[in-house]
Amino acid sequence: MPSSSLNARVQLCQLPAGATGRVCQLTGDESFCQRVREMGFGEAALVTKISGTTTSLCLVKGTRIALNHRAAMNILVEPIPAVRAGRTE
Amino acid sequence: MVGNPNSGKTTLFNALTGLRQKVGNYPGVTVEKKIGTTWSQHGKPIQVIDLPGAYSLAARSPDEAVLRDVLFGRREDTPQPDRIICVVDAANLERNLYLVHQILDLGRPVIIALNMMDMAAAAGMKVDAAELEGELGVPVIPCEAVHGKGLVGLRLAMSRVDLPLARHSWDVPAPVAPAVAELQAALTDHDGRPPLVARAEALLLLTDLDSVRVAGSRPLSHRTHEILAHWRQRWVTTGADWSATLIRSRHDAIGALCRGVVTRTREQGPSRSDRIDAVLCHSVWGWAVFGVIMAALFFSIFSLAEGPMDFIGRQVAALADWVQGAMAPGDLRLLLTKGVIGGVGTVVVFLPQILILFFFVGLLESTGYMARAAFIMDRPMSKVGLNGRSFIPLLGSYACAIPGIMATRTIENARDRLVTILVAPLMSCSARLPVYLLMIATLLPGDTVPAARKAGIMLLMYVLGTAGAFGFAWLFKRTLFKGAPPHMIMELPPYQPPRPWEILRHMAERAWLFLKNAGTIILAISIVLWFLTTYPKLPDPTATPTEQIAHSFAGQAGHALEPVIRPLGFDWRIGIGLITSFAAREVFVSSMGVIFGVETPEDNTTPLRDALRSAHWPGGAPLFTPLVCLTLMVYYVFAMQCMSTVAVVKRETNSWRWPLFQIFYMTGTAWLVCFILYQAGRALGY
Repeated sequence: MPSSSLNARVQLCQLPAGATGRVCQLTGDESFCQRVREMGFGEAALVTKISGTTTSLCLVKGTRIALNHRAAMNILVEPIPAVRAGRTE
Repeated sequence: MVGNPNSGKTTLFNALTGLRQKVGNYPGVTVEKKIGTTWSQHGKPIQVIDLPGAYSLAARSPDEAVLRDVLFGRREDTPQPDRIICVVDAANLERNLYLVHQILDLGRPVIIALNMMDMAAAAGMKVDAAELEGELGVPVIPCEAVHGKGLVGLRLAMSRVDLPLARHSWDVPAPVAPAVAELQAALTDHDGRPPLVARAEALLLLTDLDSVRVAGSRPLSHRTHEILAHWRQRWVTTGADWSATLIRSRHDAIGALCRGVVTRTREQGPSRSDRIDAVLCHSVWGWAVFGVIMAALFFSIFSLAEGPMDFIGRQVAALADWVQGAMAPGDLRLLLTKGVIGGVGTVVVFLPQILILFFFVGLLESTGYMARAAFIMDRPMSKVGLNGRSFIPLLGSYACAIPGIMATRTIENARDRLVTILVAPLMSCSARLPVYLLMIATLLPGDTVPAARKAGIMLLMYVLGTAGAFGFAWLFKRTLFKGAPPHMIMELPPYQPPRPWEILRHMAERAWLFLKNAGTIILAISIVLWFLTTYPKLPDPTATPTEQIAHSFAGQAGHALEPVIRPLGFDWRIGIGLITSFAAREVFVSSMGVIFGVETPEDNTTPLRDALRSAHWPGGAPLFTPLVCLTLMVYYVFAMQCMSTVAVVKRETNSWRWPLFQIFYMTGTAWLVCFILYQAGRALGY
């Protein structure tokens, strides 16, 4: 992976509200990673942060998903300018 | 009937079967399978099983394990279903198809109910059902369960004798194929699975590792476990993450499928739900709104219920007067006026408040606010070692601890689930409401006291119970159930306008349950209690009612308990109420009605609160002082006084150890807190 994109990686909890990122790595225990992937939050998925710092509210494949701080810390994303991760209503 | 949480399965199940299972706009409403009957096009009965929602067959919580075990034929009590209806939220098609993709592997007849087509259209999405049907080769029926649309098509599909099997082509990633083949052979040879089911189960075992088991689930053979452990060990050694590869491979296949099925007709900006969430999930405004909702609830309980309560009270008194006038004096008349009417009537009076409570609960459940409450409560929950997901069962326990405890099945971590079960009964349930209301009415009599003041005391009791639940969760997570704070990942459903009929139906059901309880358990206990407070009779006919009740069986039991509860300011008569209300907390009110009804002259139908206010100790000091009323309320906040909850905790934990522990720690805390409160109050001159 290019070093520039490695530098750009941030934890999901650090992504500012309104910004979109691409999931590039999941850390944490296996059960958590699997569940996150099964919900469509896996590597390469686009995620838009709606709000939150300690508890994050995100939009993934049109679904609003709430994550606590520990979960959001275990999802590393690469910020992408001006993209929105789909919407349901 | 299977699908993701909140995809509308239960709404569709109710529409097909005519049943009225509980629905709600938040994940985890259905935690156990529900069975109903619908009718085919030719009038043949079809048994429908509504299963708990799940994102995947790889179960991580007990409710998801129920779904997995039924579909794989692992349940002793349920045969493998003949056909599977996959309920899919059309507005979230890609995510919903993950579970469908796993189910198609089973090689069973499948019907896809493409639900919430209206919401997909509103979101600017065109979902081509015919294209999806063509791709998968199974019937795809567009429907809107909420509006009853698409039911005819669904029934027709269910009536078909020869449902086609899926043209489901998905190549298992090559590196995983040998493991799948070996596990498939073991499942066929040693666990008696048909080949296709064995293949699907092999794929599943590689992702869920058979980690969650529930009662009634057939265990897998030793050989299958050996093979699974062998492959697991091999992958750990090589550092390969084949479960991730499997999941990614499915998602790739689904992504390709959706590109041909879903067309975006327009791009949208922030939705209505986003705009509402900007306020309700805000770190400051979210709390303010939560506080306003709770305050409105308690204020309404006092301000709106007063008129209907007075009306019911007058009818109960009129009935007692009528029986009094119509019957000749004697034990039977006493039994009816003091036992039956005095007992049941005092509880029935609280029906309006119960209805108001369930109106608010219904409103929160149907709009989608419950999940938001869990979201904003996540931060304080994480301070005690739990997460926001545990707050939904706790919030549900404000209505009744039993569904609250059952809702803990959605919690993935076994230790967190047990902690949530242990603290859930500390949330003030609706059965405590009559006790609080009676004590507040005794403490603050008369109509001149502002409703806000009464509501404030009530709110204090709810806050105390909630703080107790948080405090004990903190303690348990640091002692008995040590562990890191759990991850929380939870879907927040779009807001929906409240459905008035659904809320009214829910209120009516709860009202009926309350009245049924009053007409059965409370009636029976009232009659038994009247007998126990009336017999044996004193031989001296000039004895006062108080002397008579003290001499009775109940009086003797109360006197035996009095040394334990006297340090709390309670006498033997309150002691009788504490004993009888172990059946259900509201029985305390009917017990007071019977005891103090027996104590009052026969031709007097004084309201209970006035009877309590005039009760006194043998020395003449008033019994129900403000301090005693407050202490009694606090006792009911903490004490474990509900047989049904004990039974449910035993069932959910599969052991007597935890319900007995719960009785000990809750009632012990109640005694200790009340002792400190009463003795401190006395020392301060109250």
